[in-house]
Amino acid sequence: MFAGFDVVAQSIGQLAEPITLALLVGGIVLGLIIGVLPGLGPPIAIALALPFTFHLEPIAAIILLLGIYSAAIYGGSISAIAVGIPGTGAAIATVQDGNKMFKAGRGGEALGLSLTGSIIGGLFSVICLAFIAPILATVAIKFGPREFLAISVFGLVVVVRVAGESLSKGLLVGGLGIFLTTWGLDELNGTERYTFGSYHLYEGIPLVPFLVGVFAVSEVLIGAERALQKLDFDQTSLTVKLPGFRKLMKMKDVLFRSSALGTVIGIIPGEGAAVAAFFAYSEAKRRSKTPEKFGTGHEEGIVAPETANNATVGGALVPTLTLGVPGSPAAAVLLGAFLIHGLAPGPKLFAERPDLMYAIFIGLFIINVLMMVIGLMAIRFAAKLIQVPTTFIVPTVLLLSFVGIFSVSNSFFNVGVLLGAGILGYVVRKLGYSIAPLSIGFVLGPILENSLRQSLVIADGSVGEFFNTPIGLGIYAALALTIFGGPLVGWAKSKMFARAEDA
Amino acid sequence: MITQRAANIAFNILVIVAAVFFALEAETFKTSGLLASTGLPSKFFPQLMLAFIGLCSVIVIGAYVFKGYAGTDKGTSVFEDGGAARRGLLVLAVAVACYLTWSLWSFIPMLILIGPACALAMGVRSAWMYVSLLLMSGIVYLVFTQLLNVQFT
Repeated sequence: MFAGFDVVAQSIGQLAEPITLALLVGGIVLGLIIGVLPGLGPPIAIALALPFTFHLEPIAAIILLLGIYSAAIYGGSISAIAVGIPGTGAAIATVQDGNKMFKAGRGGEALGLSLTGSIIGGLFSVICLAFIAPILATVAIKFGPREFLAISVFGLVVVVRVAGESLSKGLLVGGLGIFLTTWGLDELNGTERYTFGSYHLYEGIPLVPFLVGVFAVSEVLIGAERALQKLDFDQTSLTVKLPGFRKLMKMKDVLFRSSALGTVIGIIPGEGAAVAAFFAYSEAKRRSKTPEKFGTGHEEGIVAPETANNATVGGALVPTLTLGVPGSPAAAVLLGAFLIHGLAPGPKLFAERPDLMYAIFIGLFIINVLMMVIGLMAIRFAAKLIQVPTTFIVPTVLLLSFVGIFSVSNSFFNVGVLLGAGILGYVVRKLGYSIAPLSIGFVLGPILENSLRQSLVIADGSVGEFFNTPIGLGIYAALALTIFGGPLVGWAKSKMFARAEDA
Repeated sequence: MITQRAANIAFNILVIVAAVFFALEAETFKTSGLLASTGLPSKFFPQLMLAFIGLCSVIVIGAYVFKGYAGTDKGTSVFEDGGAARRGLLVLAVAVACYLTWSLWSFIPMLILIGPACALAMGVRSAWMYVSLLLMSGIVYLVFTQLLNVQFT
């Protein structure tokens, strides 16, 4: 589904505009700053920047947000390495070896490895995105309600499985997220549902205030609890030392495997970056000849998670752009940005706005290259931001959320939604629920309801008809494999070990 | 401190009560005209989700009542200590108060209140922090009104 070189040239032309280039660089810097600050991850970074994109052209706005997304994931590793507190969830796996290296006086090497790994992972996933997304969009254009139903169910179940320790708790908040999308006028027949006499609710609970509330406001409230903790670290070890070619070649297997893992995990809806980082870390440890070195300040212990977490960016954009199904919570907020600009992500977007799609692919590539340059120059300054007190960050983020949401819609009702969603997010997080299923459920809810109701009409009430579609059946089979594959392999392995021991 | 067990049981009872309320509310949905006879009724999907949520809540309550935990929160509390609880809940109260201030009076009083009130709720004693927060509010105001042309009411 190649749109032609003229479209590519048009996209490059739009990217080359001075304002877009300035926003691209600004996005990387802003993402780096927010990523460094403990607790403020990519979804919050994108959410806080959303109001500023309202007056921009769609391409410039999306490029700014993509710059923030990529750089925020990388930025999390700086605080993970320097103070042992991950700036984002995606950097948790980096803490173990990164902070040990920093304490051993090898902070520059650790920062260099994380920067290089992040860029290699990011570039790998962009190339995959550019190849996979157009192909998937060609297939997805043929999707009907039953296929979209299968994809929504798949996305939700996978999110719930990876989001927390308790399956029932994950399903509960996922269900809650879906239920909240049923408020407002019924899209299929115009019936008023849970509007409580308020015309504000005719269009349902607005997506962007809800997501900003769930991510940013709830994080602010949790941040307030640990507000008086002071962070300090040795700043002499902050000069980045990039790994040489020989060292990179020595780690080529880890780099390639982690990039591939990150991209694949990013494509599957869920808590992409954090899960990918842990998965890549444990794979690197499992395949290593010296697994005992992991956790003691081992280089591969930084490269594996950092490569994988940045590789999820391109991966997460595959289902977001082609199906309108977000691959991660950050991608869910990004989806909100598309909607603000009147763009509906999905297979038709490739046909309607190929220039935007190519601008995203090329823009992401440039972002990753520039991240190397900006990262090298800005790490020392960005790291100092770790010392900005939480007592300053909490009111700032709260105020920015309030005014930002108001400025997007000029609606005070949306500020109320933001606060309500923030309180809901805070309560569920304090009670040990993950907000990933809540947010993904909220994005997938309308797709799920409409496709379920349309599928039931097509199937004339027969459940068997739901599976009478090869693509849908394939998705359900993949879902079954995801759920039962692990336990089955475990059971088979235990049987084999038991037999071997008996013999 | 409130234990995860007690808080989760109370929360899930509330969820079940709310689910029953919303399920009954769904019975009042009215579709007018010809569209009423097309496809499934509008109440079908919300009620399906509410039943699902209710079922999950029952399972979670069961886990806390019989096992004492769900997932990995065995014997843990909702808040780390009294200070953390006070700071978190007070900032929550400040957020609500700021929203009400904006809604009852106007934007400017909320803008002035939010920074210092949050700092006070978190127990900040440094005068510089209060000054910095007021400055931050001023900068945010200028950026949004002068740069982005937003008119606050």
